[in-house]
Amino acid sequence: MLVKNTEKRYGLVAILMHWLMAVIVIGMLCVGLYMTGLPSGPQKLQIYGWHKEFGILILMLVCFRICWRLGNISPIFPASLAKWQKLAAHAGHYALYFFMFAMPLTGWMMSSSADYSVSFFGLFIMPNLVGPNKPLHELMVFLHEWFAYGLIAMVCLHFIAALQHHFYYKDDTLRRIVSWKK
Amino acid sequence: MEKMKFLLVIVQLCFMTTNFAATPAWKIVPAKSSLVFVATQNGAPVKGRFKKFSGIINFDLDRLNDSKIKITVDMNSVETSHEELTTTLATADWFDVKLFPDAVFESTKFIKDGGNRYHADGRLTIRDQSAPVTVSFTADQPTKNSAMVKGSTILKRTAFDVGQGEWASLDEVGDEVKVDFVVSAVR
Repeated sequence: MLVKNTEKRYGLVAILMHWLMAVIVIGMLCVGLYMTGLPSGPQKLQIYGWHKEFGILILMLVCFRICWRLGNISPIFPASLAKWQKLAAHAGHYALYFFMFAMPLTGWMMSSSADYSVSFFGLFIMPNLVGPNKPLHELMVFLHEWFAYGLIAMVCLHFIAALQHHFYYKDDTLRRIVSWKK
Repeated sequence: MEKMKFLLVIVQLCFMTTNFAATPAWKIVPAKSSLVFVATQNGAPVKGRFKKFSGIINFDLDRLNDSKIKITVDMNSVETSHEELTTTLATADWFDVKLFPDAVFESTKFIKDGGNRYHADGRLTIRDQSAPVTVSFTADQPTKNSAMVKGSTILKRTAFDVGQGEWASLDEVGDEVKVDFVVSAVR
């Protein structure tokens, strides 16, 4: 069993992080799109509360994940890949990492600038990043929304690219993020 | 005998004046006074304030038994940093500011706790609900004609029917609300 990555495969930690975050991020995108249309009320408040808690969780997970990635080798691309495809893959992964940081950070800033503190599952309360600030709040609302659309687009591209590798190029790209056996 | 009677009346009058002499009346300085509250929403504190409140304050640190205050809070002046929250608080389920524009605190008793620390027992009315409330505060009188009172109390919103209907559950918005105030007054 591989815990760390090799040049050919992802290890257990990278695989777990990938799928755990995939589930949470996709769930968050769906919940986020749904909740903004709800009428004011306790249900909306409760869902916003969950959204914020899971947002902070994502921020923690991505911090760990980037450390793990930087302290580890990543599997190399299949030799058959064209140069532009390697570039596109890198750009796509950079973009996904950017959004994984930018989404929770803009969300947290949104809360702070509206003078709402964020509780982390009742365990502790996150410090406010900024004081109450209406123009900043509006900017964060705008960025959070458009970053979300950007992230949805990147997740779709990521998904299509994975299927393309598996079914069209018939290489190991998808397999190596699913199985951690040597 | 007539003289005696007259003297008695004078003495009586003297007593009456001391008995009835009003404790000094203070005027609130709004710019240096504040009334804020902190509730719990989704497990995290959420703040708000009332921009306008007025009061009749007859207060003397040396004559607590004769002191009396009545504070009236303009519920329409509620403000938070988030508009959706402010408008929600004004609705019928919460403060219902159209029907109940004022909240009133009236003291019944002042007790000195030592140093500059005191507490006041009184009745607070929010909406159409009244409940006894104890307010702890410090009172300082830097000059003869100016005073600064800082204090706080913890209320239960359910005691005043604040947050009804779908908001009655205490999961999203907790029961306890901390109220902090600063009252600067002059006479």
